[in-house]
Amino acid sequence: MSNRIITYTEAIKEATDQIMDVDHNVVVMGLEVSYKNGADGTTAGLKKKYPHRIIETPQSENAVTGMAVGAAITGLHPIVHHGRVEFALFAADQIFTQAAKWNYMFGGGHPVPVVFRINIGRQWGQGPQHTQALYSLFGNALGIKVVIPSTPSMAKGLLISAVRDKNPVVILEPRWLFSLKQNVSIESYDKPLDKAVVVNEGADVTIVAYGDGLIAAHEALELIGDDVGVDLIDLVSINPIDYETVYKSVKKTGRIITIDTTNHAFSVGSDIISNVAQQKLLHLKNIPISISCPDVPVPTSTILTESYYPTKVDIANTVLRQLGKPTIKHDLTFEEIHTSPNYIIK
Amino acid sequence: MLLDAYKKMFLIRIAEEQLADYYLKNKIMSLVHFYVGQEAIAVGVCDALHKNDRVMGNHRSHGHYLAKGGDLKKMVCELFGKECGSSHGKGGSMHMIDTSVNFIGSTPILSSAVPLSCGSALEQKYHKSDMITVVFLGDGAFEEGGVYESLNLSTLFKLPLLIVLENNLRSIDTRLWERRSSAHDTKKIVTGFGVQYVKADGNDYLDVVGKVRKLIPEVREGKPALIECMTYRHMAHSGPTFEEETREEDTIEQRKENDSVLKIRQKILDSGITEEEVIAVENNIKKTVTNAIVFAKRAPFPKKESLYTDLYV
Ligand SMILES: Cc1ncc(C[n+]2csc(CCOP(=O)(O)OP(=O)(O)O)c2C)c(N)n1
Repeated sequence: MSNRIITYTEAIKEATDQIMDVDHNVVVMGLEVSYKNGADGTTAGLKKKYPHRIIETPQSENAVTGMAVGAAITGLHPIVHHGRVEFALFAADQIFTQAAKWNYMFGGGHPVPVVFRINIGRQWGQGPQHTQALYSLFGNALGIKVVIPSTPSMAKGLLISAVRDKNPVVILEPRWLFSLKQNVSIESYDKPLDKAVVVNEGADVTIVAYGDGLIAAHEALELIGDDVGVDLIDLVSINPIDYETVYKSVKKTGRIITIDTTNHAFSVGSDIISNVAQQKLLHLKNIPISISCPDVPVPTSTILTESYYPTKVDIANTVLRQLGKPTIKHDLTFEEIHTSPNYIIK
Repeated sequence: MLLDAYKKMFLIRIAEEQLADYYLKNKIMSLVHFYVGQEAIAVGVCDALHKNDRVMGNHRSHGHYLAKGGDLKKMVCELFGKECGSSHGKGGSMHMIDTSVNFIGSTPILSSAVPLSCGSALEQKYHKSDMITVVFLGDGAFEEGGVYESLNLSTLFKLPLLIVLENNLRSIDTRLWERRSSAHDTKKIVTGFGVQYVKADGNDYLDVVGKVRKLIPEVREGKPALIECMTYRHMAHSGPTFEEETREEDTIEQRKENDSVLKIRQKILDSGITEEEVIAVENNIKKTVTNAIVFAKRAPFPKKESLYTDLYV
């Protein structure tokens, strides 16, 4: 079983290739999927290998998504790619009202095996209409499964599971993570769509995060050091949320911090904290803390985005404060704040 | 007259080229889409308008903004994320606006400006104004459903709306024939909704301005129209650089041969204005652009607190 280091986008491409190889009903459609660099690399080279199954589409998100849902109902396994969540909103009816409700409204037995790959969130210079992190919209909609891969290896395994699933699955891919690298198995493998993963074990505080927030938390661990034990949970799925894993951790630590890289209202973090608060046996030792972004859209100027997203320093200090330890001072470089991570993650 | 048009087109060309150069050398974190090659359309259309007519744009709107008379310094400041930018740094390149000249906004969500411009035209009609609304969109955006719904609204409600379809044959790198069947007929689609359709050579200022002038009186009366302007995009979809090998229907030779800025320059020389005079005009414009860039470079950034302002008025 061999591994090698690949990027987040390469992992998506590899998963797509491997699943297309075994399942001949898988087709990929969207903008730029046929390009040499295929949709930011996520479908690079696949047009050559599967000329009729990589379908370049016009700018018609609503109809294209509906076509995919219709094809899923009748026997194909389409993967639809939307380069930004804002573009997918043109297809909101097809995702939330058609695909998501189809099986339920016909009383079961009517699978809709479609995968929506939607790029989401933070990217420099993109401003208010290209960086919305509308996670909670997808977490709130009933009838779709929604996962957020936070690392290359999760990106690969979750996509393979999503295509095998008989339900509509939304994969929200944070653009911020596209250059992140990891040692990923070359073989085809899957990861459960509905299970959170404890990626770091510790006894003092639980951090629940996903996407770019999870990566920032990872970086924070180095700043915190070994004095404090952090149970870091990669939430993986926001629809449904794996509360069993969250509660188990909080039972052990008695402290919880959630991280959203979007505003707090109706956020994933606020929902988790609300549910934790309703659990009698968790015996919290401190108030739960939600780390999130300010209640304003993401502006374009770097000077304004400088303080927009929670950094590893913010996260580390929140952890230290929870345990009554002295906070740290650490200056971040322009690159650390404004450019996406491209290192190798464990 | 022609010299005035040339000045505007040259301003757009040189501003885009200098900015592209600046982008390559400096860290400017605002996604840009340059307008080079399409100048005759923005200037041809805007020259035919009344100053109180309104214009809306898309992700590639530096040219639309400048042609309508938008402030150059504010535009460059906006690209550089500065406080004196037209959106105080909040919008960046994809969100041009200068309401003082009735350039009422642009949005990079493809086609979204078309229904919005129907709304502006509705307001104009409602208040019995004689003014019209113009919206620029690309051939890619023309494939969004919202465009067809808007075409229907525009004739149903007799809106004073002019849609300018800039057909540069590409949507990012996807060519027209990869996105439409060979039977696709824009004219039939548009006229099928009862909207007037005219086709123009978007690389020829005189053709564009002439045809828009002819259309506008009826548009003012509430007969919406669409003008499709055939053109070439000279730079990459986003940013300046691209691989020349990807070009087939719009090779560098074709782009040069059909370069609207060079064409109108030749016409001016043919009309008797000397090369020296033209160069003097060009040098002046170059200086204006250089000054704007220097100004923007030195201009202050917004205060950090302004992140929190403007969510509501
Ligand atoms: C709804 C939507 N879908 C996709 C995009 C991504 N996108 C930005 S520009 C562009 C190409 C637009 O082509 P066209 O409308 O012809 O304008 P041009 O870039 O050629 O000026 C695409 C696909 C978007 N901005 N909005």
